[in-house]
Amino acid sequence: MDFRLTSDQEALVAAVDKLAQRFELKPTEFHGLALAGTELERELEDGSYFDIAAVPELGPLAAAMAVERLARLPYTVECALSMLVRPQLAGDLPRPFAVVEHGRPGRFVAGAKTLLLVDGERVSVAHPAAADVEAVDSLYAYPMGRVKGALASTALSAAEAAAIRTWLRIALAAEMSGLLQAAIASAVDHITQRKQFGRPLGTFQALRHRMAECAVLAGGVRWLALKAAGTGTDGDAALAAMHAQESATRIVYDTHQMLAAMGMTLEHPLHLWTYRAKALLSEQGGRGGQASAVAQHCFAAD
Amino acid sequence: MDFNWDDAQRGFRAQVREFLAANLPRDWEALAHGPGSESQSAFSKQFCARLAAAGLLVPHWPARWGGRDADPWTAFILAEEMWEAGEPRGGQYMNVNWIGPTLMRHGNAQQQERYIPPMARGETIWCQGFSEPEAGSDLASLRTRAEKHGDVYRINGQKIWTSYAGHADTCFLLARTSAGKGGISIFLLPMTTPGIIVRQIPSIIGEGDIHEVFFDNVEVPASALLGEEGQAWDIARTALSLERVGIPRFAMAARMLHRAVGMLKRAGRFGQGAIEQAAKARAACEAARFYSYGIVDQRRHGIATGAEASAARYATVMAERQVAEFVVEQVPEALAGGDAMLQAHHQRAIVAGIASGAAEIQLNLIATELLKLPREPR
Repeated sequence: MDFRLTSDQEALVAAVDKLAQRFELKPTEFHGLALAGTELERELEDGSYFDIAAVPELGPLAAAMAVERLARLPYTVECALSMLVRPQLAGDLPRPFAVVEHGRPGRFVAGAKTLLLVDGERVSVAHPAAADVEAVDSLYAYPMGRVKGALASTALSAAEAAAIRTWLRIALAAEMSGLLQAAIASAVDHITQRKQFGRPLGTFQALRHRMAECAVLAGGVRWLALKAAGTGTDGDAALAAMHAQESATRIVYDTHQMLAAMGMTLEHPLHLWTYRAKALLSEQGGRGGQASAVAQHCFAAD
Repeated sequence: MDFNWDDAQRGFRAQVREFLAANLPRDWEALAHGPGSESQSAFSKQFCARLAAAGLLVPHWPARWGGRDADPWTAFILAEEMWEAGEPRGGQYMNVNWIGPTLMRHGNAQQQERYIPPMARGETIWCQGFSEPEAGSDLASLRTRAEKHGDVYRINGQKIWTSYAGHADTCFLLARTSAGKGGISIFLLPMTTPGIIVRQIPSIIGEGDIHEVFFDNVEVPASALLGEEGQAWDIARTALSLERVGIPRFAMAARMLHRAVGMLKRAGRFGQGAIEQAAKARAACEAARFYSYGIVDQRRHGIATGAEASAARYATVMAERQVAEFVVEQVPEALAGGDAMLQAHHQRAIVAGIASGAAEIQLNLIATELLKLPREPR
């Protein structure tokens, strides 16, 4: 165990941070549900950031750090699947990636060049034409889309499918980690500024304790996401996704409660994190799915 | 960043496990596990002496005091294995974790020579005289006073919730030498000193765990003062920061969770409801583990630890609670004579958010220092 960053990891984190800083603020005129980071995506592409995991000095752990940092932005870009799942597949498959679980609408599906079709334990790969997919309106803060009909796809072997499901869980946990941190920071900022009864809301212990508990949960999500990216094991991935979804249910609720009516407006950016977190809550089978994976990989010997 | 154990760390853990396998009696799990009970206290003196002889009691202490200057990871691996096994060191874990190191840092030569070697040999038990009836979380309001009369201090007052006091040889005592927060001092007080009365408080935690301690004109020589008068707050802060992640409760919680899952599986009762509850608890244990590892890593690299230690402590409280609730809900028979270790764990789990300071105090520290929220008005 040694949690210091290597010099390569430090350099990568600094570079992603520098890039991210330019996209830190939601445009004041934007009042939508999903803020697509088209320019950010171009910059990530130009800088070859989507291939970080394949660089031996960096690997998936550094990629997870990048995913987490980018998820803290109000803008959304398909990066978790490209950075963490794509490297697990043979061939240089085109991005953006998207996942379709049980035929349901999914994040980034309408613009995806590679689709992972997940149906229980089976995973197959498809490359949709533009006419095969369509955008759908949704409450989620991701651009959502769906597949219009049957698609030609290639089934992965059972072993490949298992590996992909593991890395989908790691990608989910890394992205959730960033979303939860950003939501908490947004709520903390609000209760620091907002005064009632003559003092900032953040001086009231009832609120301080709730936010502190949220911070502890989010910190735990971060540790488990990074560990899973570092080890790549099925059990660590299942635990990370479990803790991410479990913690998110609480943190999404509590951060909105801190912002009260302000958090309901599209002017305030909170929903750009919390309504992305909500989209992640159902993925990979939700908490029930993660629990089954934990049982399979962590409780098998009991 | 590396999440793998190196060969030396793996080897050390294996060595500790071999020691435990060879030195814990066959009926260890069925023994009275009240951590301050007479049987546990007596056992801990034999056990810790054997640990010391094997070089496994204080490996992280300096060679000067019987250790081998091992790094903080070694100390934590040792603590994990001990706690997971039901803490056969009893109250002596406190000597190893913080009383010894605190004396090394703040004690004078005479105090160090008197008190540290018996700790390193595993033959002495200490208690900490901190809480009082009117001073719990608000420790600075404590009233036990130590008045100087010539070459002695005369101590009067009362402590409560004092763990291990029934069998302790020495008390690490906080007492007031003058008014205000800066008027608290620390005394190293032999428990055989006339005027000390110890009364056990029957508790759900287990036999001999908590006590009231009364001090009636207890006289100690001035040489019993640790550091200077009024230095208690600085010294106690060092001690508490060492203690905050000193007990790897998540390790025993995780082990007990696995045991409970095994019982359910064998009974054909590990259905989806139990699976989900167990998985959440297991993830919480793992989160607490890595929070604590983060603190150990900071210590290893000489980085000052801030409120992250409070977050680690609170994550552990959350994990402990989830495992305890899982056992009660899914394996209730374990606490009705079904499994001595699950029962012992459950008895201890309830103190996770209370012992070594109320968890709500940690939340305050997290809110102020990690989240940078404005402070509450006082």
